[in-house]
Amino acid sequence: MLVQIQSAGDPKPKVVARSDTNIHLFETEFGTHLLLVNGSRVYGLPDGIAEELRNAGTNASQILERYGLSAPPYVDHEVLKDPPVRAISLAIAQICNLGCVYCYAQQGTFGGEPKSMDRETALSAVDWLLADARSGDRVQVTFLGGEPLTNRALLREATEYAARQACLRDVGIGFSITTNGTLLDKSDGEFFERHGFSVTISVDGVGKIHDQLRPFQDGRGSYDRMISRVKPLLERQQRMQVSARVTVTPQNLGLRNTLEALLELGFHSVGFSPTLSSPDSAGEMSSAALEIMLGEMITCGRTFEEHVEAGHRYSFLNLSNALREIHKGTHRPYPCGAGAGYFGVSAGGGIYACHRFVDDATGEMGSLVAGLDQAKRNLWLAERHVQFQEPCNGCWARYLCGGGCHHEVLRRGRPACDYIRGWLDYCLQAYVRLLEKCPSFFATGSRN
Amino acid sequence: MNESIKAKNLTAQLQYRAAGNPPSTHPNSAISNAFPGLEMDFRNVWRRILEGIQLHEATNFVMTVDDAADPELRILETGWRLISVVDSEVMGDVTGPLIAGGPSVILPDTTFGDTKMPLEWSNALAEVLHNHAGQKVRCKFQSVTDASKVLEFDLRIRHFFEHVVSRGENVKQAVISKELAPPGELTQSLCSPWQSDYRECACFYWAATRPDYVNVEPGPNGTSIGQNWMQKDRNPNGPKVYLPDDWMDPGLVDYRDLYRDWEKSLRFVVEGVDEKPPEK
Repeated sequence: MLVQIQSAGDPKPKVVARSDTNIHLFETEFGTHLLLVNGSRVYGLPDGIAEELRNAGTNASQILERYGLSAPPYVDHEVLKDPPVRAISLAIAQICNLGCVYCYAQQGTFGGEPKSMDRETALSAVDWLLADARSGDRVQVTFLGGEPLTNRALLREATEYAARQACLRDVGIGFSITTNGTLLDKSDGEFFERHGFSVTISVDGVGKIHDQLRPFQDGRGSYDRMISRVKPLLERQQRMQVSARVTVTPQNLGLRNTLEALLELGFHSVGFSPTLSSPDSAGEMSSAALEIMLGEMITCGRTFEEHVEAGHRYSFLNLSNALREIHKGTHRPYPCGAGAGYFGVSAGGGIYACHRFVDDATGEMGSLVAGLDQAKRNLWLAERHVQFQEPCNGCWARYLCGGGCHHEVLRRGRPACDYIRGWLDYCLQAYVRLLEKCPSFFATGSRN
Repeated sequence: MNESIKAKNLTAQLQYRAAGNPPSTHPNSAISNAFPGLEMDFRNVWRRILEGIQLHEATNFVMTVDDAADPELRILETGWRLISVVDSEVMGDVTGPLIAGGPSVILPDTTFGDTKMPLEWSNALAEVLHNHAGQKVRCKFQSVTDASKVLEFDLRIRHFFEHVVSRGENVKQAVISKELAPPGELTQSLCSPWQSDYRECACFYWAATRPDYVNVEPGPNGTSIGQNWMQKDRNPNGPKVYLPDDWMDPGLVDYRDLYRDWEKSLRFVVEGVDEKPPEK
């Protein structure tokens, strides 16, 4: 069967045979390359073999076998069961001073009454995380909301308590926070620096664009306030890293300008994420908007490649992360650690699959008082495995993507598959180019 | 693998199979018993981990000193063992019961009368390798004849993986360094499944794909009578006396018999009964 496909890096559609969903062929100036879905393996192909695979239809397996490329399944149908808990997020304040239109947390309240976590809940969440951690393990505590800095005193107490308890157990611990930045003060910078926080600031653009998407609850823009509070942190990043997370809606699709401006301001790195699901559909990306976003992402990616080749740091997070995962050959049966090694804890002490499911029965998995509901959690892991997701199990990108954000998929389905495939196709091309031109990018820093 | 197919990322490199090699040469399709191993002996990658000397793959003896090494190291060929690297000991207490069901105690090393025994290299050196590969580190050696004699040398820890140098950065490949394992060394010291291991590894081990108890017949009162498969005299029609395993017992097949004469020592066992002995 012949179908028309369009490669993200190549504006001209090509007519090729429908490919086997266990392989993905992609073109670069260094020739045709193959992604073998099994094990996320990347190979450069001589022309003859590329042609054979291109014409193989849905029967590539015999050709792979002949050239010694077949392998036992790297990901089988076995689902994760009772994995250890290694990370939690605390919805330390289910309240927010902003009124962002697309907010999955509905201005921090998750559709309920505004509330803040109490001391006992925060400390017992830390105890729960550390209960099964052993000497040498590493755990992560993230503060989310709402706006977590509305509950600053407890955030600091919980951090210091967790650091102390982890140290007593010889457990490594990392801290992170996602904040809108408007409540930051000088002492926060000192505190985050002291504990080596990864600080993520939600920024949707520069000036008016940000104001439009992220206003205060009374409608005033928040950009000036946010940037004046964030700048002192940007200047003192040592142990602390301050990154920007841009939520993309149809109103802020000029990604390249945003990326340049935020890196110029001194953010350690910048990442983009499309709004695929919001409580009342506000800000959700349409197919047309996603297509524009893909073009912008590739433009950002090309700029990234130029900088890397020139030996400059240019931390476009989406691409740098993707390149490192492709280099390792990451093949994941889940998109993230939600419900596996990671859980969100609500202000009221409920345990949820992740921070997005706070106070949502869909992802409810017990409470700090009653403990983790292992049966619910294991059922979740069984159902969410990418092999059992349609149409993921017939997609070449399944082990790179993992099936997409559970929260977005359960709310809205999978409206962004073409975008994700297009982006990954570009990332694969960029990987091959940088591996040829600048392999030092893939140095890990580890000695052995 | 066709030579012109290029494995690019790390999983592709790990899946590499050399032209002409059968599938069983790849670890994920091989039997992969790696102690000592049927296809490769993974312990051998540690023998050359310290530049200038070669260690024993299974214990901490210095076996030889490289020709090109500093002549000062030559003394290590005269009976020395490695005891620590960067203050990290490569020997440790091993605990367990001395008798079945007994209490767990520190087990003595019967060779040296020491309570400490050499650790398996992967465990002993993983952290040192991770932190110091490529660097010279302080190594302590102890005389095997006089434990009070200790020598110290600074030796470079070799990189475990091949590296490509790009813009002054080492880019790690998924291939074990040639410095650690020159051609042929990974397939040295393999187990001998049809000789010593056939006797050594008894019940339930892969090589023992034969019953340990043969020529069995029902005995009185619900018991059975039969023979040990290693008995030299296993005539199915002869008297059924079971000889317990004892490598000193001349009535049992020993290692030498298996190496020299395994075709005569062993016979097919069909439905639990030894094949008829060959005509003399």
